[in-house]
Amino acid sequence: MDNIEKIEKYLVKNFDQHEIFEERSNQRSISFESNNLKEVSSNQSQGFAARAIKDNQITFSSSSNYDYENFISNFKELSNYPIPIDIRFPEQKDSKNTIIYDDEILSYKNEYLIETLKKNINKILLRFPNASCDAGFSLAESNSNLRNSSKLNINSQESFISFYISSQIINGNDMLNIYKYKNSVNAIKEKDIDFMVSELCKELSIAQNIVDTPKKGCPVIFTPHGLYQTLLSPLLVSFSGTNLSKNLSSLCGKEGKKLFDEKIILSDDPHIDYSPASRNYDDEGVVTKKNILINKGIFDSGLYDLKTGSESSKKSTGSAGRSVHSNPSPTTSNIVMNEGQITINNIISNIDEGILVDHLLGAGQGNELSGNFSANISLGYKIEKGEIIGRVKNTMISGNAFDALRDIEEISLERDQVYGSMMLPYLHTKNVEISS
Amino acid sequence: MNNNYENLINDVLKTGNGDYKEIRLEENKSSRITYSGKVRENISINSRLGGSVRAMANGGWGFSSFNDIYQAPQKMKETLTLAKYNSNELFEIEKNNPIRTKILPVLKKDPRKIKLSEKINILDHYKDLILSQEDIESCDIIYADTDRKVVFADSKGNNIEQNFIHVVLRIAAYSSDGNEMLQSGFSIGSLGDYGIIENLDSEILDCAKKAKDLIDAPKVEGKETTVVLDQILAGVFVHEAFGHLSEADNVYENERLKEILTLGKKFGNKDLNITDGAKIPNLRGSYEFDDEGTPATKTPLIREGILTGRLHSNETANKMSEEATGNARAISFAFPPIVRMSNTIIENGKDKKEDIIKDTKDGLYVKNWYGGMTEHEMFTFSSAETYRIENGEIKETLRPVKLSGNLFTTLKNINGIADDLLINQGGGCGKGGQMPLPVSNGSPHIRINKCLVSNG
Repeated sequence: MDNIEKIEKYLVKNFDQHEIFEERSNQRSISFESNNLKEVSSNQSQGFAARAIKDNQITFSSSSNYDYENFISNFKELSNYPIPIDIRFPEQKDSKNTIIYDDEILSYKNEYLIETLKKNINKILLRFPNASCDAGFSLAESNSNLRNSSKLNINSQESFISFYISSQIINGNDMLNIYKYKNSVNAIKEKDIDFMVSELCKELSIAQNIVDTPKKGCPVIFTPHGLYQTLLSPLLVSFSGTNLSKNLSSLCGKEGKKLFDEKIILSDDPHIDYSPASRNYDDEGVVTKKNILINKGIFDSGLYDLKTGSESSKKSTGSAGRSVHSNPSPTTSNIVMNEGQITINNIISNIDEGILVDHLLGAGQGNELSGNFSANISLGYKIEKGEIIGRVKNTMISGNAFDALRDIEEISLERDQVYGSMMLPYLHTKNVEISS
Repeated sequence: MNNNYENLINDVLKTGNGDYKEIRLEENKSSRITYSGKVRENISINSRLGGSVRAMANGGWGFSSFNDIYQAPQKMKETLTLAKYNSNELFEIEKNNPIRTKILPVLKKDPRKIKLSEKINILDHYKDLILSQEDIESCDIIYADTDRKVVFADSKGNNIEQNFIHVVLRIAAYSSDGNEMLQSGFSIGSLGDYGIIENLDSEILDCAKKAKDLIDAPKVEGKETTVVLDQILAGVFVHEAFGHLSEADNVYENERLKEILTLGKKFGNKDLNITDGAKIPNLRGSYEFDDEGTPATKTPLIREGILTGRLHSNETANKMSEEATGNARAISFAFPPIVRMSNTIIENGKDKKEDIIKDTKDGLYVKNWYGGMTEHEMFTFSSAETYRIENGEIKETLRPVKLSGNLFTTLKNINGIADDLLINQGGGCGKGGQMPLPVSNGSPHIRINKCLVSNG
């Protein structure tokens, strides 16, 4: 009998319900720094966690050393101070069959990956000889098993590949840095990389021109990345069952109310093939589903796991996420915002003086529960007479995500992937403050 | 640590060729207790075991990490193969005489000897105390202690075992203005002293009062203004505004940055002195040897406003022909060591805090912190408490603010440094996916002219 079986036997004997989560993963990474190959690395990790419930009280512990005696002694000590809970570990149900694994990427040879990185760095250096580029690939495979006392037993296999390339140009005391990345479950195609590199070059050439910040009160347009960092990141905190169940979220009890602009539909969709954030079961074994968060401006639902769902008198929305060493908690999968009717070029061409916000520095350090945000614009462009004319510097943006999304101007037709797990449009709003 | 590891380490270091090889093995046990509102939310004990090997060939690195430590010799073989993909300029890892030593943990009041029940009792008491205060709607408490044992050994004959005991506590109290939740909080930490967790009633009452005071506090409009920073926020400022750019891994292969950050260049006024050092004892960023086995030092980074030093790993020191400073650190066995800060401080000046405030006609007094971040020459950091200064007097409470600046101008805009240095140990630093690394920051009160602020 291996140690995990012994632990399971102990849990069966001493608790009403139990659950064991085990994960093993292998990862390989290649990184270039300052135009040169820097490090080739591999990572093997494994570990397990157990949760057990007796008389509606739960105990949790985790380990990566598979030491039976030690684990049981920790578990016994912890079970003297259990946490109240009112949940039943789920039985196994049929799920969708969203594709989250592709073995092709794991067969990529290091030589090929190194060549691809070198080739693309050289493309940038050919146009910008004074640039300093970092780039890398990371490939991973993970296998997990979740089983519980309700006879659920799920094996899951996932693959993951990420690519990034960044380029720095220093002029006087100005350090300009632009990066592009893509995450996927299956191969990142050469044409996708070509596109990212050509966009990066285009932006490098515009951004070297530093211009004055537009005046206060000007129109603000967010790129998909800027939209996530500025508005969605503080907003999503309030959709988490963790904050809803404790009455900390300002959305508490406001289901069905119109809180946002009716042009906005925002959902959490775990069933997008080949997206790294997709999942057929969540990390408690609940079958996942698409959850509508905002439906034409109306707050529809938050995201719950079993515990926060039960504390809010709601069902789990299949949103539990965890690492081996932490308790499950509500997490997002793929956050998707609807597309609009107008192209981003048309949005920009209608603006006399405005700002396009792409990357922020220092977002997420404040009181996110309030929806407030405040950050330095680390990459943002000035729009003048319908055209992007250069980069703004030493400029801050602040406001409140709820206010900014209550009344928006436009959403673009184009959408782009953000952090491999979001599909977002460009968004034009007015309720934000710019200062410099 | 387990004596059987000695043979394993020898096997690993004997495996294959390569210019330089090293191994780290780590045992880690951490306890964590958290509260959210009235509810004790989580109590857990995590035990981890793992290791990593790193090898140099053709002027570059191969690195492998693993939980199954008995795979280590096989992993070293693979790592040597990985390292051979490099084709960079060769460099030597220079080390002094090999050191074999076992460093005992710094201990004042050992958290491992405190029963779980005692920890829970004291935290339960703090939770009840906060929630019993007027206008307080909720609270967060996060307590953690960690026992981390690490053995480092390399092909130069070094074998160093170190043991670190860390204690951290973060407490936040929430009030509400009917529209949004408002919070006030504080973070403390120590190397090996559970005692810091005890007798915090007055700090907690103060924290609850500050959360209450925020209810009627007005917001600050975005503008450039004069700010006086307390010691804690000034500590975060020095870490973000200057500390990260003094890490040589940003600089050593970047010719333009090397020019900009040439030693001898003026970055601040004559009264500005900045130091980093793990050799400063008994702080959370203190250690005897870094994760490459280099002895810790104390590095003057700025002396009288002039750039005098930077933080190094063995590789960056070698490639810049400077001395290694013992700042190569890894958050755990799963990551390679990279150049990091340890304990970073602005040293005492000659001014008095009272005079600095009295001399400020119009500005903000900003205290305590939520966070901070750096991207190249730009940085932001955020206050947890803000007060208006008018005609040399501290006036009403305002909502927290975010401050933003630029390395090349903001350090020169410091025009007041007090003599009341205080070191905060409640923070952690993130870089290259490795977070939170134990560091400490310190400073006396300082005043900065023309700092960009906006409502936090």
